[in-house]
Amino acid sequence: MGEKPVVVQFMGLNFNLTNIMSGLVVCIMVFLFVYLLARKAQLRPTRKQNVLERVIEFTNSIVKQSIPGEEGKKFYLFSFVLFLFIFFSNQLGLFLEPKFGEYVLIKSPTSSPLITMTLASFVLLMAFYYGIEKQGFGGYLKNYTKPVSFLLPLNIFEEFSNFLTLALRLYGNIYAGEIVLGLIGQLAQSNGALTYVVAMPLTLLWQGFSVFIGAIQAYVFVTLSMVYISHKIEKE
Amino acid sequence: MSLHPLIGLKLSSLELGDVILYFVMFVVLMLLIKHFAWEPINNMLEKRRSQISNDLDNAAASKQKAQTLAQEREDALKNSRSEALEIVSNAKSHGKATQQQMLDEANNEAKVIKTNALQEAKKSKTDALNSAQADIADIAVAISSKLIQKNLTADDQKDLINNYIKGLDD
Repeated sequence: MGEKPVVVQFMGLNFNLTNIMSGLVVCIMVFLFVYLLARKAQLRPTRKQNVLERVIEFTNSIVKQSIPGEEGKKFYLFSFVLFLFIFFSNQLGLFLEPKFGEYVLIKSPTSSPLITMTLASFVLLMAFYYGIEKQGFGGYLKNYTKPVSFLLPLNIFEEFSNFLTLALRLYGNIYAGEIVLGLIGQLAQSNGALTYVVAMPLTLLWQGFSVFIGAIQAYVFVTLSMVYISHKIEKE
Repeated sequence: MSLHPLIGLKLSSLELGDVILYFVMFVVLMLLIKHFAWEPINNMLEKRRSQISNDLDNAAASKQKAQTLAQEREDALKNSRSEALEIVSNAKSHGKATQQQMLDEANNEAKVIKTNALQEAKKSKTDALNSAQADIADIAVAISSKLIQKNLTADDQKDLINNYIKGLDD
């Protein structure tokens, strides 16, 4: 690897322009994907509409698994957008990695731990918010002493471990995928034409596998997010 | 190869701007999708759901209606059969009654006519007998007065003849 991201400082904060551009690209892709499929929604579904409805059904079913019934309905949109965002983020670096000198301009945002932590903290904030909304602040805090009070430190620790596992699982999968892809690239250039020929099908194979991993990880991320949120809003 | 990014992190080099921007981007993306895709699709899904359930309800109602109609038709058919039978039997009994009545009337009339005729015949017979009795008596007197020169009184002769005729009657 070794390509540097573009980092600028602004108002005392560091901005990783690579991540920001990638994020923007992902947002645009997700929006266009959804918008083009949802255009001219009809009672009799068209083929495009069917695709979108299948995706919506899929993400809704993820929510229903952990938060059944009426209560889960407010998370349908969130899980839908989260799933598409992570899925497209995972795929972005596989086919698009433009470089400018030694700088990389666009890569998978989810191959950066900071971005996956951002997404995880988004999920956690939602879990906190809806937990407090459902049970009140006192009731929410009491949940940390359940089922028995001496488990309090463990429950607090679990909050961090949930956050870290959620973020780092996604990051690790995508980052590893990119590293392997880079290694195959290095292999291709190591010994001329012979290794190039060997590396070509390997690259194809790994890219296909990475698409699969990206989809699985997006599914896992959304599923676990909903599980955490359901833990917070459930009364024990 | 660089160090693992997590190990290499220092707080000052943490790209917190990204965190903020990703929050903003995600929320904006969610709002845009909600406005441009989520709500139209979900409204449409809701509409479709309600229409399908309406259609199902209507179909069930129509089926129920058709069944009751068929039942009614069948009942009506059965009823019409029994009605027809009743009508036929009514007509038969009515016809019989009429026949009987006509026969009775005819019999009565015939009896009346017969008795009338008998009476008339009797009457004309007695009339004829009466007139014949008188005539025969006169004729017999005249004949006998001519035949017998002897002067019998007219009264004696009449008695004689009447006795004779009474003998005829018996």
